[in-house]
Amino acid sequence: MRRFGNFAGGFSRRRLLAGANALSVSLLSSGLFPRLARSGEPIKIGFLAPLTGEVAAWGKPGLDGCLIWAEWVNALGGVKLGDERHNIEFVAYDNEYDPGKARTGAAKLIREDGVQFIMMLGGDTWPGVQPVAERAGMLVSTLLPSDLTPDTTMLIAPAEVHPIYNVTGVEWMAETFPDLKNAVICAQDDALGLPSLATYLAAFEAEGIELRQEPLLFDPATTDFAPIVTRLISSNPDIVSLDTCYSDYVHPICEQLFQQGYDGKVISCTADFYDQIIAKTSKEFMEGFIFQFPDFDDPALNDPNVNFKDPNDFFREYNRRYPGEWGAVSWEYASIMDLWKDAAEKAGSAEPEAVLVAMKSGGKGAHAFGEADWWGEELFGIDNALVGNWPVVVIEDGKARVKAYKSIPDWYGRHGDLLIKHMEDLGQMYYQRG
Amino acid sequence: MPELLLQTFLNATYAASYIALVAVGLVLIFGVMGVINFAHGELYMLGAYGVVAVYVGAQQSFLLAVAVGLIFVGTVGLLMECALFRQLRDNPLSGLVASIGLLLILQALAAIFFGVRMEHIPPVTQEVLRFSDGVSLPLQRFFVIVAAVVLLAGLWMFLKYTRFGWALRASAEDREAAQLQGISVARIAQLAMVIGAGLAGIAGALTAPLVRVYPYMGHSVIVTVFIVIIVGGVGSLEGAVIAAIVYAFVHTFVTTFFDGVVADIVGLLLMLIVLVIRPTGLFGARDRA
Repeated sequence: MRRFGNFAGGFSRRRLLAGANALSVSLLSSGLFPRLARSGEPIKIGFLAPLTGEVAAWGKPGLDGCLIWAEWVNALGGVKLGDERHNIEFVAYDNEYDPGKARTGAAKLIREDGVQFIMMLGGDTWPGVQPVAERAGMLVSTLLPSDLTPDTTMLIAPAEVHPIYNVTGVEWMAETFPDLKNAVICAQDDALGLPSLATYLAAFEAEGIELRQEPLLFDPATTDFAPIVTRLISSNPDIVSLDTCYSDYVHPICEQLFQQGYDGKVISCTADFYDQIIAKTSKEFMEGFIFQFPDFDDPALNDPNVNFKDPNDFFREYNRRYPGEWGAVSWEYASIMDLWKDAAEKAGSAEPEAVLVAMKSGGKGAHAFGEADWWGEELFGIDNALVGNWPVVVIEDGKARVKAYKSIPDWYGRHGDLLIKHMEDLGQMYYQRG
Repeated sequence: MPELLLQTFLNATYAASYIALVAVGLVLIFGVMGVINFAHGELYMLGAYGVVAVYVGAQQSFLLAVAVGLIFVGTVGLLMECALFRQLRDNPLSGLVASIGLLLILQALAAIFFGVRMEHIPPVTQEVLRFSDGVSLPLQRFFVIVAAVVLLAGLWMFLKYTRFGWALRASAEDREAAQLQGISVARIAQLAMVIGAGLAGIAGALTAPLVRVYPYMGHSVIVTVFIVIIVGGVGSLEGAVIAAIVYAFVHTFVTTFFDGVVADIVGLLLMLIVLVIRPTGLFGARDRA
């Protein structure tokens, strides 16, 4: 029989063990698997999000929040794994919301920096990261659960279930303003806007709110929103929904609504830097604007069900360090770290799989806004989204105020079929996405 | 319905105004220097940041900020000509590559000095001209339309009735013949660059309170402007103005009556149709194509 290569002596048990040993050493040294932190060494956490570019508003403020979180946690002794204490160190990589750069960043964070956990914004950048993260068995979090599929077993969405929580704003609006009977929606035509559009369509249908015209999609490269707003308000709607737009679009759309004389209700997923919108419009115009992301100095954040630690102090410190920078994601990545820390301490290890098992044990978790369930099988094909209550926020006298906490699972229990129908219509269910 | 049509007409007029200003500047630079300046969108961006620095940062008047934007961007244009394009005048491909490099440098500089987030520029005025219920034009947009008409008319008169204007047109028509007539082509190239950059800068400055000001804002503008100059005919000033009007009206009306994504597709189709029927563009000369 012809022999290949150097196996002139054939396979022996000793040779096989030596080979396996050499392979595992080379794999570990190559960084293909996460490195474990040694006693006293800091545990590194990867922050892989857009820090520059158009989507930076959903990355950079989150990193700033994490740095405060790390400082506070480290001052109290860090993370306790068994008998050892470890400080937390964040390693950031700016993916510029580009899948290719996100992939490079993931490889660097895992192989060179030896991180134990990666936090992402997700969305368009997740497909770039997925193969690298899966190969390394890395635990990754996303803010956009639409990234979840049955295959993404190590991807979790523990902070927000965008866009499903948008139903809470519509539900509260319909209860509070029963006279509002019709609406129009504009949405950016991308992976962020379309699932959100399906959610608003389902939420409006659930409340019997009629759509005055087909949803108006716009290219994310749009520079002038006057024509879009002209069309939106041409049918005199009671409600204008801005869907989920980048904050850079919420501002000019609101400005145009104001300038073109709209005086109805406006509902949006976000209203980052709303003080600037008020400056461009007026306090009166923005009165009653409904969205989903509170300021953390809100007294409603001191509700005993809220699990985020010291929200008022966090907000104060954040604004002291980064004045005018508070946005939707400022607290979200930090709240994920709360969950991760609790799970790692419970597992006694920072090893990704052990942390995931500890995090999901019992099927419940301490979400920032209260006890929540690991959920999502029907919508995402996997129960890796942590879902519970979500706040409805309204601008009153120039300041964002939490008006209510509404249950997402309760709404889904009543109207889940509508949501699935609209998600399917727009090709946004996990089995329809490419 | 008439209100919707009228409002859309006003929206389109505004869009045509600032697109025409930027497009004419780009055509002027190409006509005289033979350089396709990919960094032209960034000159527009610099004009907007001039307003951020002077109007928002230094709390000076908006008109002063616009003037500073014009002068600053004109100066940047002059420096671009001296440091970059003059050496590459007979090599259009190198000029193109150099302008792409410059584009990245200008974006990076804006990001370093101003950050990457959208700038907040308080409105200059919140006055709105209301023509009827449902038909209105914010005064800021009206300023842009008036400024564009005045500047483009001024440029036309300059080119038509002044010696510098004649020299500029002669250089654009035939550089060697112009040199033989004693025209300093280097001087004229500097003049073209200052005017072209200045027009982009003033467009950026005037529209700064109305658009998203951030380091990468030039990208979407340059894409639109390239469509416009291809439709109008590369090198034709009249073509650029008319194509800006046609493109802005088509895009705005389609956005209003269909949606923004369809409008982008129709805009590209418009370019395609013009290229198929008339490869040199609506007003392009055959030898320039």
